[in-house]
Amino acid sequence: MATEYKLRMGDGKRIFMTKEQIMADLKEGMADAADLGSIPDISADELDKLFDILTMPSRMVGVELGKEVPVTHDIGTLRIDGDQGNSGVGIPSSRLVGIMMHERAFGADTMELGHIDYSYKPAKPVIAQEMQTMEVVQQNTIVPMFYGAMPNMGLYYTPDGPFENPGDLMKAFKIEEARKSMEDSAKHLTRDIVWIMQRMMASGADGVNFDTVGAAGDGDMYASLHAIEALRKQYPDIYIESGMAGELMLGMHGEMEYDGVTLAGLWPHQQAPLAAKAGANVFGPVVNTNTSKSGAWNLGRAVTFIKQAVKDSPIPCHVNMGMGVGGIPMLETPTIDAVSRASKAMVEIAGVDGI
Amino acid sequence: MSKEEMFKELSDAVISCKKDTVTAAVEKAKGQGLEPAEIIEKGLATGMNEVGILFERGKLFLPHVMMAAGAMEAGVAILEADMPKDAAKKKLAVIVNGTVEGDVHDIGKSIVSTMLQSAGFEVHDIGRDVPLQDFIDKAKETSATMIGLSALMTTTMQGQKDVIEMLKEQGMRDNVKIMIGGAPATQAWADKIGADCYAENASEAVVKAKELLV
Ligand code: B12
Repeated sequence: MATEYKLRMGDGKRIFMTKEQIMADLKEGMADAADLGSIPDISADELDKLFDILTMPSRMVGVELGKEVPVTHDIGTLRIDGDQGNSGVGIPSSRLVGIMMHERAFGADTMELGHIDYSYKPAKPVIAQEMQTMEVVQQNTIVPMFYGAMPNMGLYYTPDGPFENPGDLMKAFKIEEARKSMEDSAKHLTRDIVWIMQRMMASGADGVNFDTVGAAGDGDMYASLHAIEALRKQYPDIYIESGMAGELMLGMHGEMEYDGVTLAGLWPHQQAPLAAKAGANVFGPVVNTNTSKSGAWNLGRAVTFIKQAVKDSPIPCHVNMGMGVGGIPMLETPTIDAVSRASKAMVEIAGVDGI
Repeated sequence: MSKEEMFKELSDAVISCKKDTVTAAVEKAKGQGLEPAEIIEKGLATGMNEVGILFERGKLFLPHVMMAAGAMEAGVAILEADMPKDAAKKKLAVIVNGTVEGDVHDIGKSIVSTMLQSAGFEVHDIGRDVPLQDFIDKAKETSATMIGLSALMTTTMQGQKDVIEMLKEQGMRDNVKIMIGGAPATQAWADKIGADCYAENASEAVVKAKELLV
């Protein structure tokens, strides 16, 4: 009987696969990415290396010496305090403690302050609290400190916001009205992000993290890119990270453009140059994990996409690695065997600059 | 022009998302003596399926899906006169769709509703963070034959199971099919909780709903 290796499904379930099955899944995942993104396959050597990484006997793997990359943590402030419902570990602690633990105990290279509602809009009513916390955090840490949140443009639509919900309008065939609603929301979103960051910069922030740009579709990305542009202009030294929400920019509006490029339908390697153009320092590409496919399929696919993003990006790429992204299974606390293998592959094969 | 070529022209017309192109193609097909049912099934609906796939691949966007659906509706309207009364207007089936209680993620769920509607289903989208009993009440009220349950978090997936249990308790399980979806859901989860089907994305949801209901 052929040797079987222990792998995981995209939902984290333990599975056993032979070398032939693993290679077949790696190739199938790669082909899916190449087809969707109109990008090249990875090489046969790289596929072999992926196989080696997936089948290394040790439970946990690491990158080769000298290939270490910076590791940053987005909502890490809350990952200690929040429980599994927040993809956290549920140890009661303040945001300051969460940040200091990441800096001093876990070796995070940058950190960010974020609030529990983690979108820009709800930070407005609590801005004084955010400013005060940023100051205290900066007095206690030395790692570069971002303020981070999700642009989350959906909060500007009814019932959460002032503009009629484009989803409802669209279903009633009111396409132009839906588009107008998105355009109006985008303007408000840009304004809110800039307003919040002006205050956070006044409180000593080193930069801003745009987490999950485009979660509400192309309008969300449009608003975020314009906010990046405005912040870069006002603060030439501000450190800006722009991370994706999902692998494909959803076309809710369909016609919004930045720098002459239609935003809807863009894959990671096509988004990176736009983030750079707007003024971001770091781009965070995302590839989603398919829970119904094996880890080999998911990783073959994710590495193919990310390798191209790294190639096409004028700025460093810090790939999003976590629950349900980057070839990592969709589990609250993803298993270390899967996380460390996917991370090693991203660094050594896709060539990412950070995680 | 062969029948096959005519079906292709009808399908391409829907994919073009242009009402005029669709209505012109329908007139032409009628002129060639094609049956209204096959014009719709083999021509227009095939095009609509393709639109769903192009959307999933990021080649067409949500407004296009709606325009294509609108164009298809205009095409069907032309055929109505020649069809048994109400046959053309008749919706494929009634579906209640929503995101389960405790979960505010609704982007994917709304896309699923839109695609189901575009494919000819009567969809009652009851929103997000919906109390579980509301799914059942709405299904009763609208005589729906399917309930779609979206959950985007591992912590709220349980709601999908609960609705199925509640339907059983209320003696309604056999009246409706349950379709589940959302990033953490899988076929294995659907099997475990006794859902009738699982779909990975919106176009698959249309295919699965048709398989079960039409
Ligand atoms: C956008 C987003 C948000 C937005 C949602 C805005 C909105 N109006 O929907 C906001 C900011 C509000 C949000 C909030 C939260 N979120 Co959130 N969010 C996301 C994100 C980035 C994208 C989801 C999305 O819209 N994808 C795009 C759509 C098109 O895809 P989709 O939803 O998968 O839908 C497709 C299929 O799944 C399928 N489908 C979907 N529904 C259905 C239904 C049926 C019947 C069928 C057949 C098919 C089907 O078809 C769709 C189209 O192809 C995901 C991460 C990710 N990349 O998935 C996290 C994610 C889902 N969120 C997460 C979390 C933790 C939260 C919060 C708890 C955070 C917090 N600390 O406050 C809160 C939740 C509050 C609550 N009670 O619900 C976690 C869930 C972790 C877990 N435990 O499972 C995720 C996975 C991020 C992560 N890795 O940590 N979030």
